[in-house]
Amino acid sequence: MEQKIVLTGIARSKGKAAGQALVNRQRMGWAFNHVGNEDGIVLVPGADIQGECVTNKIVVYPTVLGSTSGAISLYFKCKESMHGPAAIICQKVHDIDISGAIAGEIPAVDGLDQDPITTIKTGDWVEIDAPKVGQKATVTITRKQ
Amino acid sequence: MTMKLTTYQQEMLDGKHGETKQFCMSKLTDFGEAVEATEMVDLVLVLNCCPIYSKDRKNPETAKKLAAYDLGHSALYDPIFKMKDAHVADESGTACGNDPYMVQFDKAEEKGYPWNFELPGKGSFKLDPEMVTDLKAGYDKLTEHGWLPWLSCNPYFNTRIPKMGEYAASSESSAAAYINTILGARTNRESPVNTVYCAYTGCLPKYGTHLDENRAAKCIVELDDEVRDALKGAADWAALGACIADKSMNRIPAVLNLPKNMGPTATKQIIACCSPGMNDPMLHLMGFTPESPTLEAAFKGAMPRNPERYKITMDDMVEMFQQINAIAPPPGAEPAKPVDIIVIGCPHATFEEIREVARLVKGKKVKEGVQLWVQTDTPSYHMAQHYGDAKIIEDAGGKIYHQTCMAMTPIRHYPKGTTIATSSYKYVKLGGGFGPSWIFGNPDALVNAAISGVFKPSGRWAA
Repeated sequence: MEQKIVLTGIARSKGKAAGQALVNRQRMGWAFNHVGNEDGIVLVPGADIQGECVTNKIVVYPTVLGSTSGAISLYFKCKESMHGPAAIICQKVHDIDISGAIAGEIPAVDGLDQDPITTIKTGDWVEIDAPKVGQKATVTITRKQ
Repeated sequence: MTMKLTTYQQEMLDGKHGETKQFCMSKLTDFGEAVEATEMVDLVLVLNCCPIYSKDRKNPETAKKLAAYDLGHSALYDPIFKMKDAHVADESGTACGNDPYMVQFDKAEEKGYPWNFELPGKGSFKLDPEMVTDLKAGYDKLTEHGWLPWLSCNPYFNTRIPKMGEYAASSESSAAAYINTILGARTNRESPVNTVYCAYTGCLPKYGTHLDENRAAKCIVELDDEVRDALKGAADWAALGACIADKSMNRIPAVLNLPKNMGPTATKQIIACCSPGMNDPMLHLMGFTPESPTLEAAFKGAMPRNPERYKITMDDMVEMFQQINAIAPPPGAEPAKPVDIIVIGCPHATFEEIREVARLVKGKKVKEGVQLWVQTDTPSYHMAQHYGDAKIIEDAGGKIYHQTCMAMTPIRHYPKGTTIATSSYKYVKLGGGFGPSWIFGNPDALVNAAISGVFKPSGRWAA
């Protein structure tokens, strides 16, 4: 039995992606000492997803925390070390993460019609269709019952 | 939404001013759409990160090293470094430079510095020589392009001082907060992706903290008189910044009842709460922030009848000292702790801070095996050489250096069990939990710890 939830939001970085959700209730950043550049492992002490690997996952979190270098580290993980997330979903994608996602060529979505932190659960299958920056993006959540 | 570009900006985008400018303008206009900007601003200063310019990034050995050493930015420069017409500043006049990075180039082989040191009984750390060579290659390439090689968090003190109403693009959060709060110029905590492209074009979409509505105070934070009169050391100011950020809960505050005399160290330490404590690089420090002569001005004309108001008490300050010291404490319950490294200067030490260390350490000796590090910008480093403060610190067994910052070396790979003591809230908050243990305290207690090898908290907040 599957449950499907469809949310709409705004694309801050364009693209299509699909993957398992990793939901972090705390603000987080992408700097190399917070999410390893070489392995995509979340290092932040006290984070819900500490120890998890972000590679090819859809990472859901409220908004950014910490260093501006999160932008370049997100880019590096997506384009150089290939340990980046498949996409990011936030309550508000901070400008730092918007630029990292654009450079890393992964979709980034915010402004959803339901709070992504409480609506999406870790392990859900999430598909994102975000064709154009600043325009409507669709987030489809599939949950096994 | 399409941005309205000036004739020159449109010409850059159309390729009339060369390949590099066209490439960078197309990146900036993409970003401008994402943040719904309607125009661009001209920049007087760009502060970014110096790339590690490796010739073969995909070589497995090099790639492994880059994963540990590179912040992630270096490959962004690769397409630009291939272009023949890449240069900065000539047309725009924009002063471009970089944050500190891994090493002071002329002392790369010397021991006793963050890039090359030994802790007795614990182990040693040395930067990889290939990474040092490749960083120097990136630095030389940028210098060739017209970048100013300042490698500092604080170019706003002494190299390019933006004035009220001007625009800057600073990827260094503390510099962004200082430029907005104390100088009245306007910058975001800019993404270091954008600052690469800003440098070569001299412009950036107008968004975020450039705009009046995103600079407005949302609440008031007021110091108790007792707190105002007790602030003295660099850690006090940093803890005050942390308290302000904590009370205002990630909103821009207007801060009342500050001491009348706050110099460069005090203001730099307070605003360094931006990044570890809050996202917006802006505080209205009433009496200091040029665009906020009144509370009404700080709220940008939208001050509610009863704005939310928070007090900072002595108890708050004591609690904040305890909280920062509990982020990554060294093992053991006793209040006095053995230390390995004392580091002063995050953000980079002001000349005032260097002089204070020299005064405190004069005629004394740093305990063998303990490192006392003072890190600063290049002009202050040379002032300290000229006026004799550097010699006093070095005669005592400490080190003073420029172009770099301890946290720009991979401290995750420092020897196991290392304990670092500092006056920087930013270091402890952003560096805590990734290897070393951290102690937070004032310069007098830090210098005592360097001499005795044991940190004992000083004074009022520790009581």
